[in-house]
Amino acid sequence: MPPAAIPAKRALPSKEGSLFKEVLNLYETRQLKKGLKTADQILKKFPEHGETLCMKGLILTHMGRREEGLEFVKKGIRLDLTSHICWHVFGLIQKGEKNYEEALKSYGQALRFDKENLNILRDAAHLQTQLRTFDALVETRHTLLRIRPTVRQNWVALAVAYHLNGEPTDACRVLAQYEATLKNVPDYDVEHSEVLLYHVRLLEETGALADALALLDDSAKSRAIVDRIAIMEFRARLLSKLGQDDAVHTWQALIEQNPDSHDYYRGFLSHRDALTDENRGQALQILKDFTSQIPKAGAPRRLALNLAHAHRGTEGDEFKELAEPYLLAGLEKGIPSLFADIKSLYRDSAKRQTIEDLVEALREKLAATTAVPSGAADAEPTTYLWTLYFLAQHYSYLSQHTRALELLETALAHTPTLPELLMFKGRVLKRSGDPHGAARCLDEARVLDLQDRFLNTKCAKYRLRVGMIDEASEILGLFTKKDAPSPGADLEDMQSLLYLTEEADAYLRKGNLGMALKRYTAIQKVFDELEDDQFDFHGYSLRKFTLNVYIDLVKWEDRLRSHPAYVHAAITASQIYVRLHDDPSIASRVGSSANLTGAEKKAKKKAKKAEKKVQGESQKGSPAATSNANEDKGLEPPAAKDDDPDGAKLLQSPDPLEKAARWLAPLSTLAKPSVDGWIATYDVAVRRRKYLQAVRALNAARALDGEHPELHVRIAHLRRTISSAPQPPPAPIGPVVTAAVSELLPEGVSLEHFSSQYLQRHPANPLAILASARISHLLQAPREEVESALFGVFNPEVQLDIRGALRISEFLDEIGSPRADEFRSACDARFELSTVFKSPAEKTALRWNAAESAAVTGDADKVEVVG
Amino acid sequence: MNIRPARVEDLMGMQACNLQNLPENYTMRYYLYHALTWPQLSYVAEDNKGRIVGYILAKMEEDMEAGEEPHGHVTSISVLRSYRRLGLAKRLMVQSQEAMATVYRASYVSLHVRKSNRAALSLYRDTLGFTVKDIEKKYYADGEDAYAMRLSLKHLAR
Repeated sequence: MPPAAIPAKRALPSKEGSLFKEVLNLYETRQLKKGLKTADQILKKFPEHGETLCMKGLILTHMGRREEGLEFVKKGIRLDLTSHICWHVFGLIQKGEKNYEEALKSYGQALRFDKENLNILRDAAHLQTQLRTFDALVETRHTLLRIRPTVRQNWVALAVAYHLNGEPTDACRVLAQYEATLKNVPDYDVEHSEVLLYHVRLLEETGALADALALLDDSAKSRAIVDRIAIMEFRARLLSKLGQDDAVHTWQALIEQNPDSHDYYRGFLSHRDALTDENRGQALQILKDFTSQIPKAGAPRRLALNLAHAHRGTEGDEFKELAEPYLLAGLEKGIPSLFADIKSLYRDSAKRQTIEDLVEALREKLAATTAVPSGAADAEPTTYLWTLYFLAQHYSYLSQHTRALELLETALAHTPTLPELLMFKGRVLKRSGDPHGAARCLDEARVLDLQDRFLNTKCAKYRLRVGMIDEASEILGLFTKKDAPSPGADLEDMQSLLYLTEEADAYLRKGNLGMALKRYTAIQKVFDELEDDQFDFHGYSLRKFTLNVYIDLVKWEDRLRSHPAYVHAAITASQIYVRLHDDPSIASRVGSSANLTGAEKKAKKKAKKAEKKVQGESQKGSPAATSNANEDKGLEPPAAKDDDPDGAKLLQSPDPLEKAARWLAPLSTLAKPSVDGWIATYDVAVRRRKYLQAVRALNAARALDGEHPELHVRIAHLRRTISSAPQPPPAPIGPVVTAAVSELLPEGVSLEHFSSQYLQRHPANPLAILASARISHLLQAPREEVESALFGVFNPEVQLDIRGALRISEFLDEIGSPRADEFRSACDARFELSTVFKSPAEKTALRWNAAESAAVTGDADKVEVVG
Repeated sequence: MNIRPARVEDLMGMQACNLQNLPENYTMRYYLYHALTWPQLSYVAEDNKGRIVGYILAKMEEDMEAGEEPHGHVTSISVLRSYRRLGLAKRLMVQSQEAMATVYRASYVSLHVRKSNRAALSLYRDTLGFTVKDIEKKYYADGEDAYAMRLSLKHLAR
């Protein structure tokens, strides 16, 4: 196709024409200042030249003058709508703002006017991948390959595009063609090796297992694939799938290479048929053989414990025979994770009892010989200590917290300087409802090893659990970067989901909804960042030919928000937004600065200072800016300054339900489904009057757990909402919704009956009692009635636990019950070790002054004594 | 504990583990960069529930002077305190070194350690056989010096 005639408004005389080429070159080499000057030279004569205006705008954006730059770009496009340069520039700027959809549209425009522009095609391919428009991606990759068939990357890129588009067979075809054209591949070419491994994977995915194996074996023999581990892993898996006996040898070779990989043993064993009673003994023997062949490997010993049967009290108890040396070795070596390692065996109560008997017997034996604390250097005192530690974990796991604490006290009297003992004591106290005592224990543990960030983090987390937010921040600050604005700012930059989650939860428990939302929103930003992170790899991985891992990256990104930290933040943030929707006055009440903690006040002050500084800099910056005008600030907008230091703006957002829906949207498709997620989705949908969505959420929840107490409350809520609406939802949705509701709860059944039936099915479950009380409250039963139903949880047959009791206490507060304090003091008496039911005044008395304790700075003398 | 090559879905667990253990932290981009450039070199240790309790994040040296032999570098290695004394660090290191030698023909592996970190120094020197090659002044952001350590991988060459 001959080039279309250049439109008159774009044509420049030869002098300006070459100046424009210079602008392009100067931009490519990022000589921004010169580029700007040259562009201005053209514009002096041709102020309406669209392409020059766009280039000027682009250069200004790179120089950090974003708004001004964008104005020039927009003006340039308006003046020359058919220029690929103008659209390309606009696309670049939109891409920099991570507005991928709009950017792709601009690239589409650019390609209309310059169909074979390699740069634009490549950028468009990356955007198509990011946006998962794989059909279009295949087309773009085809075009690139057609234009430049000699570039290796273009072949591979087309294969990847087919693969992503769900066409692995086409991908294989492209790779086979590509491999046939290759000549003179240098020896030991890691890139080529990766392409071949990718080809093997593709063949495996299409089910062509024999072809996959053949390609793998040929390429391994010719040393074209250099990754030995990958060769063996692929080979073992393919042979197993093909049912070939050879698989055993390859799994064996993998085990010898890495005797600690559970997968390899599983591969080895599962090849020999599925586990049955007959071959179980055989499998166990194989693991025993590996144990003697590779004495240093932990995995076969541990896996054998899963397979062995416990026959308590009989001769030849194979589990006991294996468990005894395993436990003893762990205790003698002082392995802190021994209990965590074996507790999954507790599903089998015979195994649990065997372990208890074994370790208790050891404790009795050691107690007799080593009860006296002495500094003697024989091995036994520490074995005794670790035995006590193990048993404390054992009993706490079985909810015998008092027994666990006794054992820990014995251990601490013996050796007061082992942080693990104090850490676990903290855990037991936490489980017994005493987070204050727990936090204090973690403080004590932390000072025993001030170099250890693990103890530091745990200590801060426990402080957050009791609402000591400022005090937690001080502790965290001992390990965060000194030049960060605050410890929290560094942790946020480093994407610490642990910190953000714990602090958000802590603010929420204190009723500071603004700060809680602010921290949850920071979690949302981390996930947005992780999603953006993949962008650069769409090009990078093809250049590096690391294709297998790249495909894994794309798939991982698609399920990114299944991460528990996202799910928790989404559910909790949506609940806050629902509260704000139900009672907008909350926003003004909790937004006042009277409730601020010291840290928040500090943060507020700091933010103001920073703002002033920024303003000051930009003022003095304007004339002096020319001095470093060449500095490329890139196309990404700089991080926005924090204009909402206490989350007040988040609280006052005009559309809380829309925000909540945005949070929850990924859960319906991405997350491993959870009842809580569906309940949260229902709560938002029903308030947005999206009844179909609400019904679907309840059906999904019911499919997971039809007897869930929260589900039960929502079913009642939905029935009541629909039936008390002034008019039913309009057709076509109305009848569908009505039918779905009666599916959940037959029309003839009254809510009272529905609720009492549910309660009859779960008389011992405190959360079922709460659910039923919530329904009574919904049906406007007298408050006294609701209260007395809730006090029913103190009946001896009800299995009241601390979490359930806390939920009920919250609900009593929610309905303004005068008996809430009475409820709490009854709980306080019931859970002897707990402090969570104490009055606010009592709780304040429990808070020690952490800032003044040596714990914060870590008094050097103290460390010496301790160490 | 289960020791295996790191996968993309492990990187967040590795990052969380690093943040709990060490003062040198990185954003996810840096982990991705390692995994997508040298997918064979990083390993993880996981517990029964699949939680990452230890990791080695490793790479090949990129800025090489002319004539320099290819060599690996350990960007970060750590194990959660509650999973120590199992020899996990050593096991992770051994697997990574093997991959450096066979896939990239690395002739040695290098790493940095804080001068004050005696526990780590003893692990690298006494347990893993590294030797101190150099002291890098003010290597860390807080101004602390680092020991630059090395271990030959010639014995793994095939």
